[in-house]
Amino acid sequence: MDQLLHLWHNTGLYQMQPGQGIMLIIGMLLLYLAIKKNFEPLLLVPIGFGGVLANIPGAGLAEAGGILHLFYTVGIESGAFPLIIFMGVGAMTDFGPLLSNPKTLFLGAAAQFGIFATLMGAVLLSTFGIFDFSLADAAAIGIIGGADGPTSIYVASKLAPDLLGAIAVASYSYMALVPLIQPPIMRALTNESERKIKMTQLRHVSQREKVIFPLLLLILVAFLLPDAAPLLGMFCFGNLMKECAVVDRLSNTTQNALINTVTIFLGLAVGSKLSADKFLDFTTLGILLLGMVAFGIGTACGVIMAKLMNKFGGSQINPLIGSAGVSAVPMAARVSNKLGLESDPHNFLLMHAMGPNVAGVIGSAVAAGIMINYVAG
Amino acid sequence: MESSSLMNEGLTLMLFGMGFVFLFLTLLVGATTLMSRIITKYEKNVGALPEGGVPSPTAVIPRHGPLANPHVEDSTLISVISAAVHKYRSRHK
Repeated sequence: MDQLLHLWHNTGLYQMQPGQGIMLIIGMLLLYLAIKKNFEPLLLVPIGFGGVLANIPGAGLAEAGGILHLFYTVGIESGAFPLIIFMGVGAMTDFGPLLSNPKTLFLGAAAQFGIFATLMGAVLLSTFGIFDFSLADAAAIGIIGGADGPTSIYVASKLAPDLLGAIAVASYSYMALVPLIQPPIMRALTNESERKIKMTQLRHVSQREKVIFPLLLLILVAFLLPDAAPLLGMFCFGNLMKECAVVDRLSNTTQNALINTVTIFLGLAVGSKLSADKFLDFTTLGILLLGMVAFGIGTACGVIMAKLMNKFGGSQINPLIGSAGVSAVPMAARVSNKLGLESDPHNFLLMHAMGPNVAGVIGSAVAAGIMINYVAG
Repeated sequence: MESSSLMNEGLTLMLFGMGFVFLFLTLLVGATTLMSRIITKYEKNVGALPEGGVPSPTAVIPRHGPLANPHVEDSTLISVISAAVHKYRSRHK
């Protein structure tokens, strides 16, 4: 009888706390969204499953000594996983559209206003005593507006490790929700004739330019903002491997095997941060709300910036591509393309939107560097 | 007192950060444009394949490789394509 009681005391059912139960359901919900609704499945499947594993009562997978905790310490606390992912993203990025129309970099810059506006929002909320965010927390929350998963995780791991779970989940779920969040904002800010603007065809970009660009970017970063060097350095390295065309084997590995491997462990490690005591908190709700606001403001600023640039002359820019200035490659560019096609079925904006889209990646990495510089240094 | 200093810090970070993002990307626009201009000029002299079909010593892999005799192919190709485009446009008015 004693042994039976002992066995019962060791079951998950006996040890389960209500918070863990709720987190198990949230983990399952993430899995449902990923599998059934196709929301960023590559990330939400590992994150959701990691969340479930982390909340198994008594197993302690996410506590010191547990395997998920190990993944977290090795990959995220050290900052390694987001950087390796960034290298892969660099190896998958084509700077061609950006190089043929460098002006679109301004759209990528404008969309970063979402980051800083949200930072301000978070600071205001804590000033009014609704939440208790420090400046570092606020900075890490703001970066959700950059719509760049690895960047968000990198910044959060440096500035606010406690909030990492919520920030990563918010960031990736909003990236998946881009096709729902952006279109209403884009429609509200543009009129029909603006949406019909046809852009001049992109010129051909030579391979020499594509090889030199990552080096140019790297030098600028090295001179001006060394704090962004980890992120942009890896990004440039990946891109150079792709464009120089002499290390195809390395470039292929980076784009496929390596980024996939790291994504699995990154997802699980982020999932390990979905433990009840950290996630089931009033602040998580605040982070989710602020993240949404960040996203909206970023989108709006990109569109407004495009309209402003049209006012000052030069070749016309369709304001729909402005929204692609939030990173979320290539989802945001596809949204621009789709809305453009709705207004004019012959107007293909996809390649034009890829310019601001990759500019957004650079912009949010720069913003991340500034945040880390200002808050930590 | 403490909360207002947080406000100030936030505001400073916002202005400073946004300013820097724009400064950085403006510099990048400038540098990129300059780089493109120099390279385009350089490639006009060196990169493009000369008429004779002798490839110049360059590391660039030409995207559209040197056809055997591009000019003969081109005229027929262009007439076929423009006929197709014309037909497509007249149908989708």
